Amino acid sequence: MKQSYDFNIEEIKNLSQEEKISRKKSLDLFNKYGFPSKQVEDWKFTDLNLILNKNFDIISNEVNFESNKELEVIKNFEHNYIFLTNGKIISTSFPHEEKRKILITDFDKKEKTNFDSNNSLILLNDALSSGGFSLEIAKNYKLKKPLIVYNYFSDDLKNKILNNKNSIRMNEGSELTLIDYNDGKSQSNFIKNTIDTVILNENSILKNILIQNSKSNGHFYRYIKGSLEGSSNFENYILSSGLKLNKIEIEVNLNKDNSSCSIYSALNLLGDQHQEIKTRINHNSPNCKSYQKIKNVLNDKSKGVYQGKIFVEKIAQKTDAYQLSKALIVNDEAEFDAKPELEIYADDVKCSHGSTSGSIDSDAVHYLMTRGISKDEAVKLLINGFLNEILENITNSELKFFLEEKLERQINGH
Amino acid sequence: MLKIQNLKATINEKLILKGINLDIKPGEVHAIMGPNGSGKSTLANVLSGKNGYKIEGEIYFDNTNLNDLKIEERAQKGIFLAFQYPLEIPGVNTNNFLKTSLNSVRKARGQKELDTLTFLKLIKEKAKELNIDEKFLSRQLNVGFSGGEKKKNEILQMKLLEPKLSILDETDSGLDIDALRIVADGVNSYKNQENAFLIITHYQRLLDYIKPDFIHVLSAGKIIKTGNADLGEQLEKTGYANLG
Repeated sequence: MKQSYDFNIEEIKNLSQEEKISRKKSLDLFNKYGFPSKQVEDWKFTDLNLILNKNFDIISNEVNFESNKELEVIKNFEHNYIFLTNGKIISTSFPHEEKRKILITDFDKKEKTNFDSNNSLILLNDALSSGGFSLEIAKNYKLKKPLIVYNYFSDDLKNKILNNKNSIRMNEGSELTLIDYNDGKSQSNFIKNTIDTVILNENSILKNILIQNSKSNGHFYRYIKGSLEGSSNFENYILSSGLKLNKIEIEVNLNKDNSSCSIYSALNLLGDQHQEIKTRINHNSPNCKSYQKIKNVLNDKSKGVYQGKIFVEKIAQKTDAYQLSKALIVNDEAEFDAKPELEIYADDVKCSHGSTSGSIDSDAVHYLMTRGISKDEAVKLLINGFLNEILENITNSELKFFLEEKLERQINGH
Repeated sequence: MLKIQNLKATINEKLILKGINLDIKPGEVHAIMGPNGSGKSTLANVLSGKNGYKIEGEIYFDNTNLNDLKIEERAQKGIFLAFQYPLEIPGVNTNNFLKTSLNSVRKARGQKELDTLTFLKLIKEKAKELNIDEKFLSRQLNVGFSGGEKKKNEILQMKLLEPKLSILDETDSGLDIDALRIVADGVNSYKNQENAFLIITHYQRLLDYIKPDFIHVLSAGKIIKTGNADLGEQLEKTGYANLG
């Protein structure tokens, strides 16, 4: 069985004839492969084709970007923001910053993704992408406050697919905390396919935080590709609980000495939610560090997946790579799959990986209940205790408080 | 306050408590002494509502049948169990736990829940009374605490939740003399005519600091002797074997 697609490049505005031809090529290739199913090795735990078949009758890309939503800005948390509807910039605000140090524009459609991949979702994105933003931070500029990217979705997205590309360039010595904030109260079934290209030049620091703020029937796929120059640092925090389906792929290329990256995730999955995190860290240069800590709580009939690969090139001596995934399985019907992979060609490296899963400690629940706390609350306290560990390295207390509050909402099922 | 009638408890098809009768009135301190394996901790567990026991007989607390109450409802109604081995719970912040606990109990008792600031002020005071370093309150619950610190943390919870009946299960074990004194002072300062204590202990030691009104000797699942404070001193000299 195959769902019917209605993908139309003509719907996309302002394309040159040349672009149309190139996009048509990508679309033809996509049509050859279709959405990936579990027969594709990278998708063996997330049969996207099957999932879409179950949830969509038809999928089309006719999208209008008109905003019909009032922007609700988060209060009591000082920040800058970019407001996107269906992935397109509606407004921006940088009250805390020197404005000429930050360049924010619509994504330049001529920018090539240049992914050497037969990933059909990337092909589809190449064919259909519209919207998206490009962000550049000037040399040595350190943003004083975090930047929140508000992602809003219009109400008419039933059976639609959104394809966005974003790019972020951190120039030498710049620093940014970026919070990608989804607030889709929209209950309609839709797909979002996003490609982020992130470049960190020497000594720059980017904290990239993904937050889902409400339950959503959205089916999300995101490919984040990071390329790091010397002594730069790319930190990722994934707090995306609440989406019906979510797969995040993060590829990080540690291209120059002393660059480092980390990936932390804390997910509390409910109902039949399904989330996969797939990472590939390429240690292409000596003395680089990578750190991954993936925590999943699986309730009800949910499914969590972690596929993590560490690749160490022959020249990448003194690599320090760490990877740990821990799952807390609350219900017997829930599932967690982990596939750690190490591929190492250098001989002087420190690489470790581990994966554990367990259930809720019933003695701990009993102890908490003898203190007047109901069973539900006790379990939530324990889940919170399990997940909030991933925030322990965040030193900015305002940011930490903000994230703790979001995590708690997710544990309470939004 | 607490009336236990012919209480029998079985776990894994083994009969542990074989017919306990006990009557505790407000203002009283009762001690249960007995050798290892006599059923002391089982009695504490059963009163707290721990799952896994098959219960016969009746337990009334303020005229409510405890068998009808869930674990947290017992705590909300005013039964507190200080654990022999308080659990270490990684990830759970002590302050956050204490606040959740206090507010759950207050809510059930129809009192207003405390906001964070009011709570912090209260907990600081109570911690100071027990000579507990504030730093412990921001750490993970009991994780890496010494035996004495864990027991002090139990007494802190007791004073915070203001129970009617406090059951102290081997609270003296693992305490050095200074910690023992602090714990005992904590209990004595909380004791009044409205509340009661059930102190479960193997040794006379704690009873030198907290004077019981009654001592019951538990052996093989039954109370075989009841007396006043002098009984404890007598046991210290002669041991349990001579009571037969």
